[in-house]
Amino acid sequence: MDKKIILPLSKLELHKKAKVSHIKTEDKAMLQRIIAIGALPNIEVTLIQKFPSFVFQISKSQFAVDKELASCIYVKAV
Amino acid sequence: MIKRDYKGPVENSIEMAIEKISNLLQHDYYLSSRSIAILLLQEDEGIKNLVKEKDAAGFSGIEQIVAGLKTYYKDPISYELAIERQNEVNEILKKAVKFAKDTINFQERLSRLLMNPVLGIPVFLLVIYFGLYKFVGQFGAGTVVDFIETHLFDKYITPFAENVVTRFIPWQFLRELFVGEYGLITMAFRYAFAIILPITAFFFLFFSLIEDSGYLPRIAMLIDRTFKKIGLSGRAVIPMVLGFGCATMATMVTRILPTKRERIIATLLLALAVPCSAQLGVIMALLQHNPIALFIWAGVIGFIFLLVGYLTSKILPGDRPSFYMEIPPLRMPSVSNVILKTYVRVKWYFKEIMPIFLWAGVLIWLARLANMFDLLVDILKGPLRAIGLPQEAGKAFLFGFFRRDYGAAGLYDLSAHGKLDGVQLVVSCVALTLFLPCIAQFLMNIKERGWKMGVGISIFVLFFSFSVAYVLNIALRILGVVL
Repeated sequence: MDKKIILPLSKLELHKKAKVSHIKTEDKAMLQRIIAIGALPNIEVTLIQKFPSFVFQISKSQFAVDKELASCIYVKAV
Repeated sequence: MIKRDYKGPVENSIEMAIEKISNLLQHDYYLSSRSIAILLLQEDEGIKNLVKEKDAAGFSGIEQIVAGLKTYYKDPISYELAIERQNEVNEILKKAVKFAKDTINFQERLSRLLMNPVLGIPVFLLVIYFGLYKFVGQFGAGTVVDFIETHLFDKYITPFAENVVTRFIPWQFLRELFVGEYGLITMAFRYAFAIILPITAFFFLFFSLIEDSGYLPRIAMLIDRTFKKIGLSGRAVIPMVLGFGCATMATMVTRILPTKRERIIATLLLALAVPCSAQLGVIMALLQHNPIALFIWAGVIGFIFLLVGYLTSKILPGDRPSFYMEIPPLRMPSVSNVILKTYVRVKWYFKEIMPIFLWAGVLIWLARLANMFDLLVDILKGPLRAIGLPQEAGKAFLFGFFRRDYGAAGLYDLSAHGKLDGVQLVVSCVALTLFLPCIAQFLMNIKERGWKMGVGISIFVLFFSFSVAYVLNIALRILGVVL
């Protein structure tokens, strides 16, 4: 995988460290959910599981989200 | 107090906007005017309405400042503020906290196994089988309920109440209100204390255990994909699992679902296709000697659950549900916590449900006074003939509305007297499971969803249950199934 590439969290390889680059959504409620989770730019995330839901880790917390939410979080590999 | 300055182009900075808004705020909001200003910039609806009311004079000025600031940012201000806060938190953490290297310990390994679909789903089914069916259903709803009913109520409480009422109330029709077949003491109280209390206590005990261990969100993440197809999210696993305990209680718990659309779908599915523990017990007893019949029953109910959920989610307007949940670490539940939680929940539930039971008791009393029961049994004759059932089943169905398990027990009597063949047994079990929820759930539907929706759901369930039974009866007869 090209290190510079920016891709949605839903397409990230499992167990690869990445940093959030930006959030892409027009839906205010969706943005609010992402803020609540704390998946904000420059935060490090690791994807743990993709099926049946997306599970990722931020610092010491894990979150399960659906594909729609995971597709709004854009990350770049570190 | 640390005052944090927010960045941005100087003349339009968030900080300037906060100051300007603070100056326009005259009312004392208990919170500092700075906090109120920040909430206004984040477009918090509650605070906005409050300020509009209390600071009517300055409100249009405030709106202008907010609108003006927004034009300088690509993203919503709440997002900008969240990033600022996050950066600040990171700065503090860097100075104050050292993190140990991430290691995958036993808990984490177990957690991943439970979330893995290949292993997690069988484990989930085992938890449901032992926790819900064996512990809550057979032990709680069976053994313990029998003990309380036969030893406490039949031997002591009911005879005592009958004595007292007969002595002090000379009119038979009024006696019936308290100690008749459907009396407030002999039915409503007995139902609440001898049946609902033990079942909910065992159920909440089981529920507190899967909640405190951190298992619940893992079930939710496993099931989210499937639930999305029926217009619900993984979060709805909580009321749905509760529904197998008591669907009335589960209907109340649909409050935790974030949108009205999800609450309506969940309420409908609970009313239609989720059998409560009392009902499950009798249906199992009816069908246990006939595995194929049991299989057909479970298949039809499961199919209807998914089909109705799917169609409802297509018809109802509104956004698709969104799923996000924190997955907490797995923990050994603390005994005192689990007991305290169970106690508080049972108490809360009782406070909510008791008035409903008493109302149901009064309604039944009135209906009997007006001879409504005979009339209703008469009305049911036609539909029952249509689905191939003897007219004696009418009583079972009507009682089913007042007590779901009574209805099933009525069928049990019919089957014990050899009045139902295998196909009739399956058809009637399907109809009864889908048939109108009990009167307590009916009242709860109205309480939670309002008159129109509550009554609407019940009418739909009434017609739908008979239609499914009708089709199933014809299908089984045409296919020549002998059970």
